[in-house]
Amino acid sequence: MILRLLNRACVLSGSVRLKSTLSTFFDEMGKSGIILKSATTGIFENLALEDWIHDHVDLQNRSMLLSWRNSPAVVIGRHQNPWQECNLPLMRRLGIPLARRRSGGGTVFHDFGNINMTFFISKKKYDRHRNLKVITSALKALRPDLEVAATDRFDILLNGHYKISGTAAKLGRTSAYHHCTLLCSVDRSVLSSVLKSNTSEVIKSNATPSVPSPVRNLLDVDPTLDSDTIMNAVASQYSNEFGFDGPVITVDPSHEALMPGIHKMAQDLQMWEWIYGRTPKFSVCSSLVVDDVTVKLDMDIKNGAVEQCAMEIPEDWLPSEMVNEFTSALNGSKYCPNEAAVLVAAFTRTVSVTADVAEKIHRLCAGVVSVM
Amino acid sequence: MAMCTILRCASVSLTSSLPRLSNRNALTPARLLARTCYKRALSTTTRFCAALKFTDKHEWVRVDSGVATVGISNFAQEALGDVVYCGLPEVGTKLSQSDEFGALESVKAASELYSPLTGEVTDVNDALADNPGLVNKSCYKDGWLMKMTVSIPEELDGLMDEAAYERYIKSIED
Repeated sequence: MILRLLNRACVLSGSVRLKSTLSTFFDEMGKSGIILKSATTGIFENLALEDWIHDHVDLQNRSMLLSWRNSPAVVIGRHQNPWQECNLPLMRRLGIPLARRRSGGGTVFHDFGNINMTFFISKKKYDRHRNLKVITSALKALRPDLEVAATDRFDILLNGHYKISGTAAKLGRTSAYHHCTLLCSVDRSVLSSVLKSNTSEVIKSNATPSVPSPVRNLLDVDPTLDSDTIMNAVASQYSNEFGFDGPVITVDPSHEALMPGIHKMAQDLQMWEWIYGRTPKFSVCSSLVVDDVTVKLDMDIKNGAVEQCAMEIPEDWLPSEMVNEFTSALNGSKYCPNEAAVLVAAFTRTVSVTADVAEKIHRLCAGVVSVM
Repeated sequence: MAMCTILRCASVSLTSSLPRLSNRNALTPARLLARTCYKRALSTTTRFCAALKFTDKHEWVRVDSGVATVGISNFAQEALGDVVYCGLPEVGTKLSQSDEFGALESVKAASELYSPLTGEVTDVNDALADNPGLVNKSCYKDGWLMKMTVSIPEELDGLMDEAAYERYIKSIED
């Protein structure tokens, strides 16, 4: 097989007439297949780009491949619980953002060593195995003795054991997209520490769970398999499989004129109500130790907000009226450490308490916040 | 239960539709025929209709006492595969016809759900939270998704009845 390397990248912004959008540009191109590469490394901009293409580009007689990479981020599936899936306090300390995508599936960690690929097509021709075959064939064309294969769960395994790719998908009105990751040179120590929740044992939820798997980078088995080499190989194989050719087009998702509405889509994906508020209803049941005293905490969280909060605290440590005031302060608030801390601080200012009680409330708050 | 029917009947008076015959060249026999035919449109809108109606997105609707129950068809649940999660709207959500109201996650993908009618959500099937598989096992009965009011009853006329839906499925399967 002769690999045609698609070096002829074409940067889109310069070549589009005024009043043309990306969608009309594709229609005018007249090609049945298009390969795109994102110019940005922001997770929200890239997720918005996927959604924009899905909503606006006519995919009935056309298929598209988009490849993209992000600066470090954790991405959860549409119906997942972030408190169950990842270590939120650690992510905050490391400055790693959390995103919720619109497709289903499990939680993944992205950084520059991970390639994301999105296959856009009509609902009728939606075929994930065909898409994954593009990737495994491309890898085998680069390194014929590489043992990579897709599973029934649409993972790609290396040597029959290590996961190098996970898949998720979304079906819309008439079109669909299937996207997957590909681990080339991801920071595995960060990956394993952020994808390990610090509070999953205290959470009871029916959110879709992730299936943890041992992972490996392609670079670990072959140091010459870098992201660019792999992206070019996949693009070439995609063209072979879907029977067309053309340059890889670089798209900049910050171009609002080219993609009207994309900026708002990226903003919507960053809203607390979407990222945390869309978490399916769950309950938290935890035993905290504060000042050698055991505090039993029970909370119901709906739409990311505390629907109900109850605490069992020894009466001699903190009087029950104080406990009731504390739990009332939290009711209806966002299940969020900053918000809880602010509310409790405000509450201690409004009630007259001794310094000793104020200190206890402060430490109790720290305990409660530790599960957020 | 009283059946409320609205009959709309438009008839064109024959005398007013007769063309003027003074201009011999103006009308060919075919055109003459077309203009003298009158159209009578018959429309029946039932507020209390227990038959299933279907959308082309494979949702079904059953209206009972002004409340519409919504679910997905057998064709849809088979195509989806095992449903693992049902993302449904809040009670009180106002929906226009074709608005996205939620998503079903299955082994296949997260599939968006589109409202068959315009109205307000009055109830969602809480049983699906612990047992999303009901959508596969009993899509027309226990696997119902939500109930809503019917703001625009005429929208029901635009939906397919069971026979039309069966024909529609056959046409897309081919």
